[in-house]
Amino acid sequence: MSDPAIEVINLSLAYEVDKRLAGTFKGALIDRLRNRTEREKFFAVNDVTFQIEAGETFGIIGPNGAGKSTMLAVIAGVLPPTIGRVVVRGKVAPIIGLGAGLDNEMTARENILLYGALFGRSNADMKERVLKILTWAELDDHEYQPVRTFSSGMVARLAFSVATDIQPDILLADEVFAVGDERFRNKAEERMRSLLSGGTTVMMVSHNLRQIAEHCDRVLWLDHGRIVEIGPAEQVTKLYKEASMNPTEKAVGEPGTP
Amino acid sequence: MTTTTVYDSAEQRLPFLTTFKHFWEYRDLIKLLTVKKVTARYKRSVLGVWWTLLNPILTTLIYFVVFEKLFGRDSADEFPYLIYLISGIIVAGFFSEAVIACGSAIVGSRGILQRMQVPPEVFSFAAAIAAAVNFVISVVPLVAAMVLLGVEIPWNTVFLAVIPAAFLLLLVTGLGLIVASAAVFFYDVIDFVKVLTQLISLGSASFFSLSWVSERYQPIIKANPLFHYIDMFRKFFYRGEMPDALNWMMVVGSAVLALGLGAYVFSRSWKNLVVRL
Repeated sequence: MSDPAIEVINLSLAYEVDKRLAGTFKGALIDRLRNRTEREKFFAVNDVTFQIEAGETFGIIGPNGAGKSTMLAVIAGVLPPTIGRVVVRGKVAPIIGLGAGLDNEMTARENILLYGALFGRSNADMKERVLKILTWAELDDHEYQPVRTFSSGMVARLAFSVATDIQPDILLADEVFAVGDERFRNKAEERMRSLLSGGTTVMMVSHNLRQIAEHCDRVLWLDHGRIVEIGPAEQVTKLYKEASMNPTEKAVGEPGTP
Repeated sequence: MTTTTVYDSAEQRLPFLTTFKHFWEYRDLIKLLTVKKVTARYKRSVLGVWWTLLNPILTTLIYFVVFEKLFGRDSADEFPYLIYLISGIIVAGFFSEAVIACGSAIVGSRGILQRMQVPPEVFSFAAAIAAAVNFVISVVPLVAAMVLLGVEIPWNTVFLAVIPAAFLLLLVTGLGLIVASAAVFFYDVIDFVKVLTQLISLGSASFFSLSWVSERYQPIIKANPLFHYIDMFRKFFYRGEMPDALNWMMVVGSAVLALGLGAYVFSRSWKNLVVRL
C-alpha cells in the first residue's frame, strides 16, 4: 500500500467561543448596542502532523479536553480544518452511540436502516442486512422494540454491530469498549481483528491504556491540542502513565494559545 | 482494498449546486427522516393522527365563532366562510410549521452532524417534507366541510392544487435553511421566527377576505407572497378557477428566490457554523 490511509498535515482547529451573552440573538443585539462583539478563538487542535498507514490500528490518548474527539471529527470530514489539511482515503464509519445518532424512540430495526442511510447505503440494501446485524448483536428478539427499552450493553452491541457491518475502510471508535460486559468485549475484539485482517484502518480513542496498548500498533498522545508523543503503543502508553503519576514533567502550554 | 472515496479538506467544492445533488443522493435518508418525523407525533400520544388535525381544527373553530357567529360573516368571496377559513388556515399552518421545523432541524441533529459526514441540508429538507405530509392530512377536514356544506368539488382543477403546495415546499425549504443557519449562531432565533411567521400568516388573508379590507390596505396583503399561495390553492381546490398572472409571478418567483437564497446562504456559512454547533 503506497498511499497512507490518513494524512494530517499541520492541522489546527479553532472553535469560536462567544464572549457575549450566551449566544442568543437578543444578547447579540444588546451587545451590538453596547459595542461589545468580541469573540475568542480556542484552538482544540494545534499544529498537528502525522500519518496513518492503511491497515494500521492507531490510538489517541490524552487527558480530557486534549482534542481527541475533535481530531476524530476532523478525520470524519465533519469539521473543516482552520489551518492545515487532512486527506482521508476510503470510507469512514464512526461507531456512534446513544444520543449521537441512535434514536431512543425508534426501534432497533429503524435505527439500523437510519444508520445505513446516513452512511449513504440504500434502504433496500440495509433491509437485507438487518437480520445479520441483529444476530451479531444478539438482539434478534428485539427488532421491533424502541431503543429506549435497551440496556446500555444492548445499545453498545447494536452500535458496534451496525458500524462494523458496513465494512468501512476506516473505523472511528471513540470509547467503544467503555460499556458492555466481558463477553461483548471479547466478541467486539474478535470482530475488530477480522476487520483489521481485511485491511480496515482503525482509529480508536480511549482512556483505557491497557486496551490501547493491547490493540494499537501506534499511539498518538495529545495534550491541549498538541502532540506530546507519537510512536509504538507500548512505549507511548508507558510514558503517558509515568507522566500522569508525575504531572509536572511533561507540562504543555496553556490551552488555546496558538 | 478499494479507495474510491477520498476526502481532502483542501478540495474546494461548488457548495451551491451540491445542496441539490445531496437531496437526490440522500433520498433514502430523507424518506426515513420524514417517516420518523411524521410518526414521532403519533407514537406516544393518545390522539394519534388526530393530533395533526387538532391544531387547524381548533384555530378554525375560534375564527369561525368570532367571524361567522359574532360578526355575521357567513360567506367570503361567494363561498361559505368555513371553506374559506379552513383552506387559508391549513396552507398558512403548513408555512409556519415547516419554516420552524426546518429551521430547528439542524441544531436538533447536532449529535449526528458532529460525528458523521452527512449533508446537513438533508435534515432541513426532511422536516419540510414532514410538514407537507401533515398538510396533506389536514386537507381531509376541508374536503369534509365542502361535502357537508354542498360545495361542489371542481374535478377539473382540484388536483392542480398540488402546484401551490409544491412551490410552498420549495419556499419553506429555502427560508428554513436561512433560519437554520441563524439558529446555529443564536438559539433564540426560532422564537423570533415564530412571531414573524405568525405575522406573515395573519397578513396573508388566511382568515379574512381581501374584500373585507379597505382598498388602501389591500396592496400590503397582495405584496405578501403567502397570500398568493393561499389564493392559488383556493382557486384550484374549490373555486374551479385559474390563478391570475400576479398569483403565478409571486408564487413561482418567491419559491425560486427563497430556495436559491437559502441554499446559497447555507452552503456559504456552513463551514463557519459547524464549529459552533
